[in-house]
Amino acid sequence: MNRMHRGAANLGRSRLLGGRSRLKAGCGQNCPPHTCRRTFLMGVAGLAGCARGRPRLNVYNWSNYVAPDTIANFESEFGVRVRYATYESNEEMLAKVLSGNSGWDVVFPTHNRIQPMRQYGLLARLDHGRLPNLPNLEPRFQTPPWDPRLEYCVPYMWGATGIAYNQSAAPTPAAWADLWNARFKGRLTMLDDPEEVLGACLLKLRLSYNSTDDTSLRRAEREAIAQKPLLRAYLNAEFRDQMVAGDILVAHSWATTAQQAIDAAPQLAFAYPAEGFPLYGDNAVVLRESGRADLAHAFINYLLRAPVAAAIVQTSRTATANGAAQALLPEAQRRNTTLFPSAETLARGQWIGTMPSATQRLRDRMWTEIKSA
Amino acid sequence: MKRWLGFYAAAVYLFLHLPLAILAVFSFNSSRFTVWQGFSLRWYRAIFHDQQLGEGAWNSVIIALTATIISTAAGTLCAYGLWKRGSKLLSGSLYLSLVTPEIVMGISLLALFQWSFRWLHWRLGLHTVILAHVAFSIAYVVIVIAARLRTFSPALEEAALDLGATEWQAFRYVTLPALLPGIVAAALLALTVSFDDYVITSMVAGVDSETLPMVIYAMARRGASPVINAISALIVVFFGALVLISERVQKA
Amino acid sequence: MKIASGWERLRAWFLLPAWIWMAVLFAAPFAIVVVYSLLTRGAYGGLGLPWTLENYQRLLDPLYLGVVVRSFGMAGATTVICLLLGFPLALFISRAGGRKSIYLQLVILPFWTSFLVRLYAWLFLLRDTGLINTALQHLGLIHDPLPLLYNDGAVLLGLVYGYLPFMVLPVYATLERLDPALVEAAADLGAKPWPTLLHVILPLSAPGIRAGSVLVFIPALGAYLTPDLLGGGRTVLIGNLVQNQFTTARDWPFGAAISVGLMALVGVLVLLMLRSEREGLV
Repeated sequence: MNRMHRGAANLGRSRLLGGRSRLKAGCGQNCPPHTCRRTFLMGVAGLAGCARGRPRLNVYNWSNYVAPDTIANFESEFGVRVRYATYESNEEMLAKVLSGNSGWDVVFPTHNRIQPMRQYGLLARLDHGRLPNLPNLEPRFQTPPWDPRLEYCVPYMWGATGIAYNQSAAPTPAAWADLWNARFKGRLTMLDDPEEVLGACLLKLRLSYNSTDDTSLRRAEREAIAQKPLLRAYLNAEFRDQMVAGDILVAHSWATTAQQAIDAAPQLAFAYPAEGFPLYGDNAVVLRESGRADLAHAFINYLLRAPVAAAIVQTSRTATANGAAQALLPEAQRRNTTLFPSAETLARGQWIGTMPSATQRLRDRMWTEIKSA
Repeated sequence: MKRWLGFYAAAVYLFLHLPLAILAVFSFNSSRFTVWQGFSLRWYRAIFHDQQLGEGAWNSVIIALTATIISTAAGTLCAYGLWKRGSKLLSGSLYLSLVTPEIVMGISLLALFQWSFRWLHWRLGLHTVILAHVAFSIAYVVIVIAARLRTFSPALEEAALDLGATEWQAFRYVTLPALLPGIVAAALLALTVSFDDYVITSMVAGVDSETLPMVIYAMARRGASPVINAISALIVVFFGALVLISERVQKA
Repeated sequence: MKIASGWERLRAWFLLPAWIWMAVLFAAPFAIVVVYSLLTRGAYGGLGLPWTLENYQRLLDPLYLGVVVRSFGMAGATTVICLLLGFPLALFISRAGGRKSIYLQLVILPFWTSFLVRLYAWLFLLRDTGLINTALQHLGLIHDPLPLLYNDGAVLLGLVYGYLPFMVLPVYATLERLDPALVEAAADLGAKPWPTLLHVILPLSAPGIRAGSVLVFIPALGAYLTPDLLGGGRTVLIGNLVQNQFTTARDWPFGAAISVGLMALVGVLVLLMLRSEREGLV
């Protein structure tokens, strides 16, 4: 998942400090010196004990991208301990990883960050010999456009952006242009993401989602400003609650968020817009700084197992790149057009590109202008 | 006047605690969304299966306690020293540390740690989080204590000196006890600010030092799961109980 | 102004931890931020050469100045409301006798839970199908739901809610020290409660009020979560702008420049405030 960027960044325990904290916590006012010393030593010993034990793997992933028992099963099967933490946006993760000594072994960047990470020398080459489950991937993900030989990454989950709506909304939204319909005034939200909003405007104008020239972007900006009076708010996942409750009729949404809402309220549905839509793919990579390449490969291989990936889809309601896993899903889920659209729908999709620096700055300025309008 | 004040205070407390009440109610909701669908304890059960939560809570407590002790001590001494004779440089720095947006503080501290770690071969961890928390909470402590000192007359200390005490004794036995309520208030402020901090902590936390806000934020941003409501309700009950107990102990 | 040498020695020792803090945890990071603001953004985030003043030049754009003005307005309103709401509460607590401590803790108690989570609770209260609107409609007071969310009012509410304790605690710390004899004296001289408040209590609690105002106004300037969640991302305040630069826009140098600019601006304001009074804040 690529953009949930409100939280800034996420990303062993100093024995001495651990001991010192115990000291402060354990000693009251009337503590005689030798007791304090004893507590200190006990603290240090305790922590020293913790430091030994099973081998460790540090995994940094998007939130809600594993099933409740995925990690636990891996830990018990391979006899390791996994430190698993989550982040909300690529920038969060990159801020930590860019330094080159973040401590993480496996992270999950979105596809358009792979190239930059390679250029910064952050990624380790993958050893396909240690990834025998690779053929489980869908054919199109075995040679993805961003890494045709899968030298550095393994596709994990993918998704698209489209329109989530309440079926009572009239007319039924089917294209980006429908988001400018004055009948939805006050009950419409867009994603709080400059790339997505400007992208939707570009697609509405029948331009490419990845346009970088000034003229196109300026036209898109004007569309966004024209739309603003109709909007209730710019919301990412927060619209979900309100859509289920009925406050919001139509929302610019990621497919997986929409699916989560539909699970709770069957009157909701999701549409892949007629003019086209952006696609993103999140991939597993091994960081070059990691000294645990073996374990990292074992973990990625484990995630590629069909039953494991299928279980994750059931919980996270995301679309997996694992073809074998899709075959294991119950009929209803496999045919779920929100998560797994038909081939002809998919053909209208466009992979999000990497943006050059100058365009990034222009887009950001436009975003401020749109928000201040 | 006192009665009006009482009514007013009740209204403000209602304002402050209403969201908490909402949280508590929905922690018993069987649905994930804020539409009531029936009573259920499933979210409370889920807490006990979540190892991350437990570790996060433990880390938060350690960090908050340590950082508060350090910053309250340093801040009190600083406020007192500045009261004796001011220092434009130090005061200015304290103000500026308050003004700095959290994300800027986080990024700059991260950069500092990453640079210094090249030579010291350290990693990010609990210690970096504690240092960061001290960094931003000292100013709060100093400001609260300084405000309290404004109302304190130096004459008392002078009297102590006249009676033969050293400067240190005058501080220790005359000023410090008088400052105690202010110190407690400042420490409470520092503790709260530290326990609840997300932005700065998330930037300087290492692989092993996830705090409770980090765990909660991660859960909330992606899916406002009522497990968070359940945790929050438990936290409130726990600290509320702690407060009541400490009251009893103090009175005894 | 020199003080006796015994005090000088004590003072020097006492200020030592603060000096260390300043050098290591403030000056060094601040220098880093200034350095960042003079660099150029890297191709994919991060930093790169060349050195440039361009980031500061960008700040002078009316678009960004407008953001600054709006943020000051919002923070100012927050401070005033916090003062109006918080002062009576602090007064109440300081007069509560034995129960002082409990009342104080009750103010802080909500803040042990995650701020984000409490904001979500406000979302539930304020939205169209939320508690407040539903209640009002049931009581027949309104027909259509009131737009309580996603506007400046909601943001203000959220900010006041988030910063109230920062006003209450310092004001309480000062009021607690207030000599009750002074109030009694005023009463003895025939003053009614209101004039006593205005002419005796308020002036004496000025240091606490100043402290509280600083502790509310300045952080409120940098707030970004509340405007985002409760304002629906419809407006940009300084906090959002800076946050944006360090995340989606990947323009750290510009973000650093905004921060330095903000700190400079507030620094100047605070200096002016100090000049006009004999005593400072610290």
